[in-house]
Amino acid sequence: MKVDVDMSICLLHGQCVIAAPEVFSFDDDGGLVWVAEVDEAQRADVEAAADACPEQAILLG
Amino acid sequence: MTQETLAEAPYLDVAAPTFSIRSQAVLDAREASWYARTNYGIAVLRYDDVMKLLRHPKLRQGSYRWPELSDVHGGLFARWWGAMLLSQEGETHSRLRRMANPAFSPKLITELRPKFQALANKLIDGFAAKGECDFIAEFTEPYATGVICDLLGLPFETWRELADIAAEMGLALGVTFKQDLATVEAATARLLKYAEDLVALKRANPSDDFVGMLVQANADKSQLSDQELLDMIVLAIFGGIDTTRNQLGLAMATFIEHPEQWALLAEQPDLARAAVEEVMRVRPTVTWVTREATEDFTYNDLPIKAGTTIHLFSQSATSDPAVFPEPGFDITAERKPHFGFGGGAHHCLGHFIARGDMTEALKLLAQRLKNPRFNGEVKWLADSGNTGAITLPIAFDPA
Repeated sequence: MKVDVDMSICLLHGQCVIAAPEVFSFDDDGGLVWVAEVDEAQRADVEAAADACPEQAILLG
Repeated sequence: MTQETLAEAPYLDVAAPTFSIRSQAVLDAREASWYARTNYGIAVLRYDDVMKLLRHPKLRQGSYRWPELSDVHGGLFARWWGAMLLSQEGETHSRLRRMANPAFSPKLITELRPKFQALANKLIDGFAAKGECDFIAEFTEPYATGVICDLLGLPFETWRELADIAAEMGLALGVTFKQDLATVEAATARLLKYAEDLVALKRANPSDDFVGMLVQANADKSQLSDQELLDMIVLAIFGGIDTTRNQLGLAMATFIEHPEQWALLAEQPDLARAAVEEVMRVRPTVTWVTREATEDFTYNDLPIKAGTTIHLFSQSATSDPAVFPEPGFDITAERKPHFGFGGGAHHCLGHFIARGDMTEALKLLAQRLKNPRFNGEVKWLADSGNTGAITLPIAFDPA
């Protein structure tokens, strides 16, 4: 499954990092980085992250 | 900015009962400097700095030591306050937030929307014919508490008792916490008992509603213990009532001052969602967000020591002319995000519910209450911290 983040609306709250720490993280400069393609085992975590995003900026495909 | 020091920055006496977050002193301070010195530490005044510091890795949520600072040590409230989600950081905070998230999912709002509408209409029915009401006592307080009743699966009639318990427990957040301790403790005990009863009910009858989802999260007790489950339910009740009650009152007061915007909202109900955002930008109930430095660090050339209390002035930031050059209140304008729900790891957990219930309320109110105006003296909480109207007498033309 594909994971993308609309960085034009992301406000870097980091709720996705809390919900799915294996997929989303902050780099040393505080920027958001994520794994663009995840396997089925991570589906629940990634969906929880998309749900929890206050700006609803996470796109799953 | 180069060699600015704490001593040179403006000073704001934020603890004074007369202090107003919307005062000329705050506007002047924001013009002169990105921060001010305060009784507690520093206040951050401008948009870009509040945005950055809300999610700064060297800051933690700042009110976790409140009971101790109020000379209250131990007891039910202080235990709950220290253990609940908002006071936690790091891995414990992340675990609790992960466990709570499903109960606060945006997906649940779809099912709740018709309940919000029914509740709003029922309350408006109660006073519409007389053309006047106390908007707080007759609408925002029963509405905010009624939403919590819907969320918890309690009958609407429970609202008065729940509102009273929350108000008594809320005395803990005031400067007279120590004097009010007995009342606060009794209210906390009653709310915990409510939570216990709700959990027992859901254990016997599992469901996918709000409490049901939290009870499901409690199946693995290493992830959400029995006590943490109760603490979370208490937080949802305690955190959801005053905030929504105050924010909707501030919305009405703002619209009364901008009648053309109220008429526009009545004509175009789809603007209600944007109206919630614009109200929270110009008149947030949460006028500042508190953080505390976890270690020494430097920001904008200013050395900040570990333990410094930092108030992020959301009210001042989202009226910052550097970012919002068009002053005024316009529900059709494209705006940068406000900070009414805080931000970062502690971003308000209940914001989807709050946004949903306030949207439905404003939509129906604008259609049914025409030409609202002040109808007597409005009593206000202090214009700082968490603000709002205590009583808001209004008159209107019933539609």
